[in-house]
Amino acid sequence: LNRADGSAQFSAGNTSVVSGIYGPVEAKVYEEKLDRAVVEVKFRPDIGAPTTKDKWMESAIRNTFEREILAHLHPRTLVQIVIQLREGDGSVDSAAINATSLALVDAGIPLKCMITAATCAVLSDDTTVVDPTQEEIDAARSTHTFAFASGSSTGPLYVDSRGDFTMDEYNHCYDLCALATERVLAFMRTAIEGKVTKEAKISAA
Amino acid sequence: MGEAGQATFAMQTFERIHPVEFQRRFLSQSTRHTGREFMQFRSLQVIKGAISTAQGSATVRLGNTTVVCGIKAEVCEPDVKQPSSGYLTTNVELSPMCSARFRPGAPSDEAQVGSEHIHRLSAHLLDLTQLCIETGRAVWSLSADIVCLKHDGNVLDAAVIALVAALEDLQLPRAEFDSATGMVSAERTMCHVEVKRGLFPATFTLVDDMYVVADADDAEEQMAAASLLVVMDRDGKLVNVWKRGAGLMSKETVELCVNAARVRMAEIAKALH
Repeated sequence: LNRADGSAQFSAGNTSVVSGIYGPVEAKVYEEKLDRAVVEVKFRPDIGAPTTKDKWMESAIRNTFEREILAHLHPRTLVQIVIQLREGDGSVDSAAINATSLALVDAGIPLKCMITAATCAVLSDDTTVVDPTQEEIDAARSTHTFAFASGSSTGPLYVDSRGDFTMDEYNHCYDLCALATERVLAFMRTAIEGKVTKEAKISAA
Repeated sequence: MGEAGQATFAMQTFERIHPVEFQRRFLSQSTRHTGREFMQFRSLQVIKGAISTAQGSATVRLGNTTVVCGIKAEVCEPDVKQPSSGYLTTNVELSPMCSARFRPGAPSDEAQVGSEHIHRLSAHLLDLTQLCIETGRAVWSLSADIVCLKHDGNVLDAAVIALVAALEDLQLPRAEFDSATGMVSAERTMCHVEVKRGLFPATFTLVDDMYVVADADDAEEQMAAASLLVVMDRDGKLVNVWKRGAGLMSKETVELCVNAARVRMAEIAKALH
């Protein structure tokens, strides 16, 4: 996205999410906060008009990123996160979180840490699948999405576990997602380093 | 104001102008401003059948938070893809009547998120094929309206309990589909629907980034850094674990909350019956 201050596309399997950041920009007077930036999220589905399902997603993403963005550095402004689902095939929420993390870095918005997310599903035969497709999710007994702050291992930043599960299954999925997010973080680091070195070469030339 | 003047501050004035400090005075002493323990839930009162014009209803009082759920049943055609399934739609209404926080007009973000979350949870409650009158031709469509009458924190828990109670209260007339006329006629006998799993919610809030309290009231919710919803079914299996907000809650804290939710489940079951 070349009109946005920052953008990123995160794809895993067939799921593809684009996140665009606009900000910090001027906030409307009735919306602004005097000591910090306001964070707004808009989530657009791949097909159709936004529904309460997308409002739920917007709220989840806003709650997750609101405190990790160093909003005190930009009072009375607005940081707008616009997420467009290009193709959904399961694990959309973790893809959206990952795309937004990358886009915020691309936009140069000051962050406390990187936020990475992963989804896993417990299937009816008790096997666990990381990054499930929509088909696997529909057949699963429970699905779990976890997001973690990089460098902090005390606890999850975001949890959404649904279905029919025990505490043991929850803990097992927690550990799997923690590992998966480490890989996602490494991938993000490589992607960002690649972009920065490329830009450095262009400006040096 | 000098030190002498500060010492004579009325408690209510202090609460008004320094709400965060006021709460901290209690929390730092391991208690809460209403005298509750950190993991203590408020008293729960469930009254079924409050609305005579609805097919099912329930009023839930969780401390000062009051929520009413009314279920209306209508006959309609089923979805082509699921010809034997009825519908259950849920809607949460947070109007200015319940709290000064909400403005009149379109549903607030909080109401929409609440509606969506309860809708997802409600999928576990009923086997929708129970609502079938005639496959492919007529099914019951239940619309559950959950209205918050008074908002003193933790509306979500109260709303879930109200929905479950209203569904347990629900009575549908036995219906027959006449294929000749295409009409549905209702008999006099009424029957209940079977609530499949049961939902027992417990919300824990991380206040001021440090203290985890159960069933936060409005004043405590204002200082919330994060909140964790744990929903169990009657067998003690987990239905939903949902953490909102980015305040950090350790893995151990989550386990503690799940255990507290298990204890809470017995309290809710008692209030429902």
